[in-house]
Amino acid sequence: MIKLLFFGRLGDVACDAPKLIEANTPAEIRDLLAADFPELGRQLREPQVLVSVNQMIVSWNQPLAAGSEVAFLPPVTGG
Amino acid sequence: MSAITSNDEPLSHDQFMRYSRHLLMDDIGEEGQQKLSNSRVLIVGLGGLGCPVGLYLAAAGVGQLSLCDPDRVELSNLQRQVLYRDVDSEQYKVSCAERELSLVNPYISVISYPTEISAELIQDYDVVVDCTDNLNARQLINACCQKKKIPLVSASALGWEGQLVAFDFSQNRTLCLNCIVNKDSADPVLNCSNSGVIGPVLGAMGSLQATTVIRILLGFFEQHGEMQRYDGKIGRWMGLTTQADKNCEVCGAA
Repeated sequence: MIKLLFFGRLGDVACDAPKLIEANTPAEIRDLLAADFPELGRQLREPQVLVSVNQMIVSWNQPLAAGSEVAFLPPVTGG
Repeated sequence: MSAITSNDEPLSHDQFMRYSRHLLMDDIGEEGQQKLSNSRVLIVGLGGLGCPVGLYLAAAGVGQLSLCDPDRVELSNLQRQVLYRDVDSEQYKVSCAERELSLVNPYISVISYPTEISAELIQDYDVVVDCTDNLNARQLINACCQKKKIPLVSASALGWEGQLVAFDFSQNRTLCLNCIVNKDSADPVLNCSNSGVIGPVLGAMGSLQATTVIRILLGFFEQHGEMQRYDGKIGRWMGLTTQADKNCEVCGAA
């Protein structure tokens, strides 16, 4: 199983989303979540959302090992 | 007569008193204070991040601060941009900031550029601090700093969240901001103007930027490309490692 974390405003729309999931890549997780949680799926597809695996920023196609922790990070570009 | 100390002049009595809390620290001392006094730092963006960055670097005695921002002070800035006063409305931010920072520390030099950032402005600085609010400016600053081997400290904030990432391009040629963000996609939908931001979150991130600048100037920085995220709503920090993109158009061929 893969452990999921949602940061910032993504956490506000992921209240009912699963926190554990079976998937091979972050992109697959995004698609699985979008099927059941359209608003979360929409926000995960916004430009510049970052994804990390075990606290390393990776690409959406990064292969996942069982037990990995995947975090979704919304963009913060204001200053 | 200018109060600015030239490169190798010993600290005056007033400066010893002013910087005494630095001088008491074994890893700063008079030598470290002289390094700060001889340093040139460019702050790009004098908004919610740039204000605390400017205040702390001026107070710390960074010898030359250059300020770049084309904007004028608006009433809606005053909730978080702590250098400006109610009477500053419609004035250039850099002019107001220059006034305030010079009042904080008359021993430093402050130079204002009330313009958009450009490659020509990024010259011969010891560190560039990216406090801008849009992706285009961030990309331009990143590419210039990488090319000219100038350390870059970049931060941003939105809502309750802040993010900081710093690059010591003087020591590392690969891994840059362009490796981490997707340059081909549009600016994010939400920004401080349409989504809001908590002022002290900007203060926290700006203070962390100023701390990182001082670390770089004193030679203590070893976290090239590491990202710090802060979620003020739940009070948590998170450190994230990043990876160089070997196909990066900015640093990939380095």
